[in-house]
Amino acid sequence: MELNTIALMSSLFQQMCVYLVVAYALTKTPLFMPLMQVSVRLPHKVLCYVIFSGFCILGTYLGQEVDGAIANTRATGAVIGGIMGGPVVGLLVGFTGGIHRYSLGGFTGLACALSTMAEGLLAGCVHRYLFQRERTALLLSPRLLFCVTLLAEVIQMLIILAVARPYDRALHLVSQIALPMILTNSVGAALFMRLILDRRENMEKYSIAFSAKALRIAERSVGLLLKGFDADSCKLLARIVREETGVGAVAITDCEKLLAFTGIGEDHHIPGSPIASEHTFLAISRNEVVYADGNEVPYRCSISRDCQLGAALIIPLRGEENRVIGTIKLYEPRRRIFTKLNRTLGEGIARLLSTQILIGKYEEQKQLLIHSEYKLLQAQVNPHFLFNALNTIAAIIRTDPNRARTLVANLSSFFRTSLKRNSVEVSLRDELAQIDAYLQIEQARFGARLSVCYSISEELLPARLPTFTLQPLVENAIKYGVSQMLSPGHIHIGGERTAGGGLHLFVEDNAGLFEEYDSPGDGLGMNIVDRRIKIRHGENYGVSVECEPGIRTRVSVLTPFVEA
Amino acid sequence: MLNALIIDDEMPAREVLRELLQATGEIEVLGECANAIDALGAIYRLRPDVVFLDIQMPRISGLELVGMIEAEVLPHVVFVTAFDEFALQAFDEQAIDYLLKPVDPARLTRTVARLRQMRSAPAAARVLASATTPLRQIPCIGHNRVFLLPVDEVEYLCSETTGVRVVGVRQSGVTELALKIIESRTAFFRCHRQYLVNPDHISELVFAETGTCEIHTRSGKRLPVSRRHLRDVKDFLSLP
Repeated sequence: MELNTIALMSSLFQQMCVYLVVAYALTKTPLFMPLMQVSVRLPHKVLCYVIFSGFCILGTYLGQEVDGAIANTRATGAVIGGIMGGPVVGLLVGFTGGIHRYSLGGFTGLACALSTMAEGLLAGCVHRYLFQRERTALLLSPRLLFCVTLLAEVIQMLIILAVARPYDRALHLVSQIALPMILTNSVGAALFMRLILDRRENMEKYSIAFSAKALRIAERSVGLLLKGFDADSCKLLARIVREETGVGAVAITDCEKLLAFTGIGEDHHIPGSPIASEHTFLAISRNEVVYADGNEVPYRCSISRDCQLGAALIIPLRGEENRVIGTIKLYEPRRRIFTKLNRTLGEGIARLLSTQILIGKYEEQKQLLIHSEYKLLQAQVNPHFLFNALNTIAAIIRTDPNRARTLVANLSSFFRTSLKRNSVEVSLRDELAQIDAYLQIEQARFGARLSVCYSISEELLPARLPTFTLQPLVENAIKYGVSQMLSPGHIHIGGERTAGGGLHLFVEDNAGLFEEYDSPGDGLGMNIVDRRIKIRHGENYGVSVECEPGIRTRVSVLTPFVEA
Repeated sequence: MLNALIIDDEMPAREVLRELLQATGEIEVLGECANAIDALGAIYRLRPDVVFLDIQMPRISGLELVGMIEAEVLPHVVFVTAFDEFALQAFDEQAIDYLLKPVDPARLTRTVARLRQMRSAPAAARVLASATTPLRQIPCIGHNRVFLLPVDEVEYLCSETTGVRVVGVRQSGVTELALKIIESRTAFFRCHRQYLVNPDHISELVFAETGTCEIHTRSGKRLPVSRRHLRDVKDFLSLP
């Protein structure tokens, strides 16, 4: 008796091993993916039913005959089916396994069929109980599986005793098989669940590794494409992608030519050369990923026969309205093949780059807009200034020809500098010279109504400023300040270095009319100056206004102090 | 000879126009003003036949100035400006002519000829400025300074021998503007032959036993209501 039990137990454990090997093989197939979580939707439930019914039947087949009955691991399939799929799935799995067992006959046939159904139903009820209490995570615990299976097998034994006849024979059977079956099934079910959990953890680890890689690429390439989708930025980008993914080579193309190439085969994949690969044309025209893995789809370098590259993943890059604007190509040499991970990552990178290209385009548009706003500002101010200047000169020319000549020189210097200014930056010295030419003319026009003073020390003069930073502020001080005053006007232009390494410049008038004229709240065109500085140097810099009505308006500019 | 006043905030422009006008031999320049407030006083004082008026001037534009002068006093107006964007509006204000800077002497000769014709025409033909825009601020002369008092800060105005006194909540002054102009260009109404009150500042109407009546303003100032204007005041305040 004792020996029998031990022999039976070892036999059952062997069965369980085979059983688990089958299960392990199954976890490696895509079929298993939906089973890695608790099944809620119908197609998953159907799949769950089919697979675990299979395990049920497998358990019966692997079973060992004992006294005209079968000692088996059928319960594992029914219990897991019920736990994963719920009462209905559990009952159906039990039913299917039960019918199959019944068809094999024997004096316990009916009892076993009934008990298998009961086991599936029991596990299904545990599923429902935990599901309704929103503790589904517990369903996947091997310990729970162990306990449920244990309970299920105990019930099975009781059912055999109750149903199978003759009773003596049933009792004898149960006394032999109870312990081995209860133990092996419980342990088997728990191990099965462990298998499922391991597979899940593995997947998660993969996606964590994937996310981390994608994030690192994102981090390193941020801002790279802001300057545009061109050869320079793509070269850096290709290098980053290659370093992070570890593929053999990386290429980036636009729709006609190679923009950048790095890695194996750099010697003959020359940036600037036209696209030669069929696969690339296909990826561009179909707007989809083309995968020439070197096995099913052969890959051969279209440029050189000696090229070592043996596989290519070609991913379209998409710009506005999802239009293809180029491709990114990941290559592996012949002796290596792509892992699945690199393929998914490749697609992720393409998405990321597409987004960055879009942002780059947006930035470019924004810069263009600001530039044209600037031109507009210039165009608005200058005609009035020119008219006023010419009228002043026309008036002065008879009474004071020498002064008129000086004014014409000032005017010509002012316009020459304005036209020449195409660079983004200018030195404070040049900006002040321009302002001086402007103010000389305005002083002739306003006479005693305008006085000007400067308080900027010599050491500040080499500082670099965005072009048209102070000029619009001085024009405003005239237009909305001094020219509107009934009493004499005064403009003070000053500057100093700040403690934080910045340069603070200001233009102050004694009219204090800013608030009166700024009623639309557009800052009298100074918003553009402000935005331009903020775009270049960040939110800590820009233009600010202090106004004491009727007393003074002071417009300040803060930029970093950068010498030429 | 016609008497002229030149009103322009830029000295070089005034100088050159004076020279050009004198060169025509038909215009005598009585004076020059650098802003609308000075000009208002000068027009009343000197009563020129014609003003050469710049449009863009500090605080009160040439167009606004025309609206501040009573029809009987308003001289012929020739607008002089650097920008022709005001041309249409200038003719709306019924100017006699419109000159662009820098002034072309030949063009100025035509203007003078037109002025000559106007003068010989009967008085009825004389065009008068139409009061179109509401008054936003009243130019005032205080102690040694000129300033603009926003209309909604003014409590009342009172015509005195020295001129029209403007009484505001915080400050007061004397203006060259006639009561009649202010009455027609603001929501103020007469409570007395010499008084114009801003209805927004009235706090109560007080009847004395003697039958006289006074308006008290929010800041506690009192001004008389004459018998003749009592009905108007009551109507204005919707009283029976």
